[in-house]
Amino acid sequence: MFPAEIEHYFRPQSVGEIHKLLANYPEGDATLIAGGQSLMQAIKSRMLRPVCLIDLQDVADLQGIDNANGLTIGAMTRYAVIAGYDEIPVAYAAIRDAASHVGDRQVRNRGTIGGSVCWNYVASCMPTVVLGTNGCLRISGADGEVREVAADDFFFGPFETACGEDEILLSVSWPTPSGKSGSAYKKWGLATDALPVVGMCVSLSLDGGNICNDARVAIAGLADGGQLVTAGGAALLGFDGNPEAIGPVTAAVIDSVECQSDHWASAVYREQLIRNLGAEVIERAYQRATAAQP
Amino acid sequence: MSRTNEVSITVNGERYDETIPNRMLLVDFIREHIGLTGTHVGCTYEGACGACTVHLDGAAVKSCLMLAVQADGHDVTTVEGLANDDGLSPLQQAFNDQHGLQCGYCTAGILMNMTDFLREHPDPSEDEIRRALIGNLCRCTGYVHIVRAVKAAAAVGTK
Amino acid sequence: MASSEQVAEKPWLGARMARKEDLRLVTGKGQYIGDIVLPRMAHAVFVRSDYAHARIRSIDTAAALAVPGVIAVITGQDLVDDVRTMPQPVLLPNLPAKYPTFSALAIDKVKFHGTPVALVIARHKYIAEDASELVEVDYEELPVVTDPEAALEAGAPVINEDHDDNEIFAMTFTGGETEQEQIANAKAVDEVFANADVTIKKRFRVHRTGLTPMEPRGVLCDWSEADGLTAWITTQRPHIDRLALIDLLDIPADKVRVIAPRDQGGGFGVKAPFFRENVVIAHVARKLRRPVRWVESRHESLMNVGQERDQINDLEIAASNDGTLLAFRNHGVADNGTGETGVYWGFVMPFLGAVELPNTYTWQKADVHLRVAVTNKACITPSRAFGHFPTRFAIERAIDMVAHKLGMEPAEVRRKNLITELPYTSVTGEFYDSGDLIKLWDNLMAQVDLKEFRTEQAAAREEGRYIGIGYATGVELSGMASEVLVPMENQPGYGAATVRIDPRGAVLVFGGDAPQGQGHETSVSQVVANAFGTNPKDTVTVEGDTGTTPFGSGTIGARGASYFMSAVHNACVEIKQKICRILAHDFGVEGSYEDFEFANSEVVYLADPSLRKTFRQAVERIIMHPINMPVGEVGGLEATVYFEAPEQMVCFNADLCIVEVDINSGEFDILKWVSSEDVGNVINPLIVDGQMQGAIVQGLSNTIFEEFIYDEQGQQLTADFENYKIANAADTPNIDITYASTPCPHTPLGTRGIGEGRPASVPGALTNAICDALIPFGIEITELPLRPDTLWEKLQAARGDR
Repeated sequence: MFPAEIEHYFRPQSVGEIHKLLANYPEGDATLIAGGQSLMQAIKSRMLRPVCLIDLQDVADLQGIDNANGLTIGAMTRYAVIAGYDEIPVAYAAIRDAASHVGDRQVRNRGTIGGSVCWNYVASCMPTVVLGTNGCLRISGADGEVREVAADDFFFGPFETACGEDEILLSVSWPTPSGKSGSAYKKWGLATDALPVVGMCVSLSLDGGNICNDARVAIAGLADGGQLVTAGGAALLGFDGNPEAIGPVTAAVIDSVECQSDHWASAVYREQLIRNLGAEVIERAYQRATAAQP
Repeated sequence: MSRTNEVSITVNGERYDETIPNRMLLVDFIREHIGLTGTHVGCTYEGACGACTVHLDGAAVKSCLMLAVQADGHDVTTVEGLANDDGLSPLQQAFNDQHGLQCGYCTAGILMNMTDFLREHPDPSEDEIRRALIGNLCRCTGYVHIVRAVKAAAAVGTK
Repeated sequence: MASSEQVAEKPWLGARMARKEDLRLVTGKGQYIGDIVLPRMAHAVFVRSDYAHARIRSIDTAAALAVPGVIAVITGQDLVDDVRTMPQPVLLPNLPAKYPTFSALAIDKVKFHGTPVALVIARHKYIAEDASELVEVDYEELPVVTDPEAALEAGAPVINEDHDDNEIFAMTFTGGETEQEQIANAKAVDEVFANADVTIKKRFRVHRTGLTPMEPRGVLCDWSEADGLTAWITTQRPHIDRLALIDLLDIPADKVRVIAPRDQGGGFGVKAPFFRENVVIAHVARKLRRPVRWVESRHESLMNVGQERDQINDLEIAASNDGTLLAFRNHGVADNGTGETGVYWGFVMPFLGAVELPNTYTWQKADVHLRVAVTNKACITPSRAFGHFPTRFAIERAIDMVAHKLGMEPAEVRRKNLITELPYTSVTGEFYDSGDLIKLWDNLMAQVDLKEFRTEQAAAREEGRYIGIGYATGVELSGMASEVLVPMENQPGYGAATVRIDPRGAVLVFGGDAPQGQGHETSVSQVVANAFGTNPKDTVTVEGDTGTTPFGSGTIGARGASYFMSAVHNACVEIKQKICRILAHDFGVEGSYEDFEFANSEVVYLADPSLRKTFRQAVERIIMHPINMPVGEVGGLEATVYFEAPEQMVCFNADLCIVEVDINSGEFDILKWVSSEDVGNVINPLIVDGQMQGAIVQGLSNTIFEEFIYDEQGQQLTADFENYKIANAADTPNIDITYASTPCPHTPLGTRGIGEGRPASVPGALTNAICDALIPFGIEITELPLRPDTLWEKLQAARGDR
């Protein structure tokens, strides 16, 4: 209910300063806090007992959205800022779809994209859309070197990512969209905007004839956490917007994932959610792509 | 072993320079350290009820999902800061007029969230109001009169 | 300008007056239990069992005691000499049941996940939690029983070891007192069934859910040698709690005062029982000679209280081809949990649920049985729609099934069978004093054009859209007369109020109940303004303090507008009579109460309106200048009145809803929800609207979203708001409340108490609408919760069958 003792609290101003602080503590003792909307739950329930808490709110380099070359969203950018940013290319509109429906207003005013992807909660929207849109995660290593990790290599499983405890996620970025591309995300939960029982992200690119020539599908809410469904992307190749063609795509997704039954929904219902949500997001992503300026 | 930090937090326009435990939740700083008890606590660790909602630099946030040290250098507004010398804010008045509260426990959080919401959306639809209220649970009213009160306050604001 | 000012000088009864309570509540100036701080106050945290059923081998508190800032750590052993075990007589209903004996802190064994086993008291609440983690309890696990039917089987592990089995309560509600009479009745019912045109038989199951106030429980106790114990408790029944503390702690009656905080964050029945935590905190305050406060966490709250419903009802109905309902049989099994909650013990709720089975309909006969089983779960706690949420779901669903079977409109079947002649005594012996169910029903049906709806429904089906209409009716007790409450709960049902006039003309009202959001201060001020012709702003209401208020059984069971407000009114009348006598003397006229009018803050002699005094002049003369008095009169203006109605009173309601179901997802939208209420004369429709809207959404939330889940080991998996889902604003509909009221003949103002039972008709109306929408698929819902996934699976199965 109340946090256990926290020996030290720091509010560094720069990435370099964060590294210096991290170096002072044995692995696991120091914890970075971004928006804290999940982390504070863990700290209050004493699932986590950080000796040192390093608050990232003042690190200017981690803030903001840059739309100049592709899209870069600083790790400390809050959901509300992403949701309110209308310059996001339609290729990555799924990011905004997701950010607009995380939790509630208060959570969106505080929670950050970086916090969410690093926490990688088992039922979570942002990791899934970063996977589904093939985001690139820039990580500052303990040695100060910055490395780039593709989404495919970043998410290991629930609560596990490629970002080490002595590392700092700087941003998530996407290249300038090539050709006509669009994406969309939608989730279904027990209540409006609740955690996803199933969430579906689709991003696709179209050729001159509006035929899909590249696609990714990612799914949230399954027992293994947010995951890319390669078979889904493959099944979308050649998709021409014909609604009849959507069924086989969602069938391919269902075939290649394992849906669990739990208190929130049975496995067969999750499969139905994949069909329903899949149809919606495929259609929306396709429409967005056709409307995109190449 | 420091366990404490010096903070300077402005609450409802009054600056508090205090030394507080690192682990103190912002809601406990507000309620117990400085004694503004209008902000309430309705959940354990999950931060789902919204009764503790305050403004941090004007934006509605849940004060139970923050440490007080994180608010160092920031402006906090609580429900006690909503009314001014002229009396109740239009939203507070609308909650009274429309019977937007019964037990009153969730009310402070709702007023804080909706004040911020109406600033962003001066003329919201009913659907937008209902969606904006997701972060505030109310057990008494069934939300009907709350939605009506927010609409009424918006109507005053957009006149 | 406040609305209350704008509507001055209008008739106060029936005015949609904005609430007086609100000014403090919208400005953050309320005073809830967590806001009360005393000097040297210590903070308590309970250590609770991780197991659902286990023997306590030992408890080691040494490490916890060693934490700096910890004042004491106590266990059940520490209570043995100073605190009596529960129950004590004041906590026992007059119902034949097997009451478990237990210590407020478990000593030998724990019976549910969350049983309190120790208490840590520290100077700060964070430190108390730190130390609570260090209390080591060594448990020996015992076999766990979580299913009520399994618990009743021979050979099931016995949970309350002072008894032979897990059946805490069983009763037959029909036929009479003796077994022979009951058997004869059952035979007669068999005969009706054998000769009936149609019968239906279904098992209806309602999950464990209930009400969770936004403010959890809390207790703050202080002890002084001079005054004894002062206990602030989140409670609906401070006077009952006081008696319980006297008995449990063996403290003289002059040394205990219980105060329900002026503001309480909801109750809904959950704060009505006497809880074991209260006595533990009172004990440590006495022992430590300092104030100790415990504020319940949400986690504790969801583990311990607010769990109700949880019944299986095997219901059969016999009817004629013309839709006449003839008889029903019901065998109920209710899951009681441990049975360790004072006053209610769990089974009192399903008891009333069984009594209320007949609802608003006429039956020739019924055969009703109930068995209540102890399980390794939290004891069920009263929750608005006390016991009858599951039984009303069953009966209302079953009536639609009868209608479907007969090919009749469910609305027609309902209207045909409504009770038309009141007073009426139901087949289970419940007394309905007055009301007009046909008027109520016709008002409901006037809110919709059913014929047009059916046309629209057929057209929608052609387009693959499924819309449906559903109804349910309800009856609820408007408070409980002593005739009912004494046999049931061993407590009086009367309402009590003290009205005291201030020399400057203000009116102070004291009541022994303890509201938690019902707006008593506003309603009382309207009743007083109506009586004295004064302004509601001049009335101050004080409730909840046993030190200053007359005895009241508490804010429970819709007693406000029926009993408490009637007592307030009658006390005002008593004072008015005295004022009239003295003014008549002063004016030198013959005259009594009827000869004077109290209006516009004046008292006027009707026969000669030049003889008048302002209300303030009149009362000041009597209170401050009691000379030249009529023979036998003395000064002062105060009256305490106890109000007992000549008959048990009820109120009625009916709900109608229209839904649209998406057959591809099982999701449903509530397109319309409208109610019809027969609630007597309404003091403040704004407040009653709010009560009804809130109750209906509580019913929806219980039906769709909320569910307490225990695994097979009795582990509670839903002890936070992430997992125990309460409906939010985006997932709930607008609700229109309409009225078709008949004044109550048994109260001075024609009012009835309202709102307690109001959620009960919700699951029936909603599921009936959904089943109506899905008639092409022949789906009949018999289990709650109603979730899109289960509905979709039913649809899949139905499509497969076709």
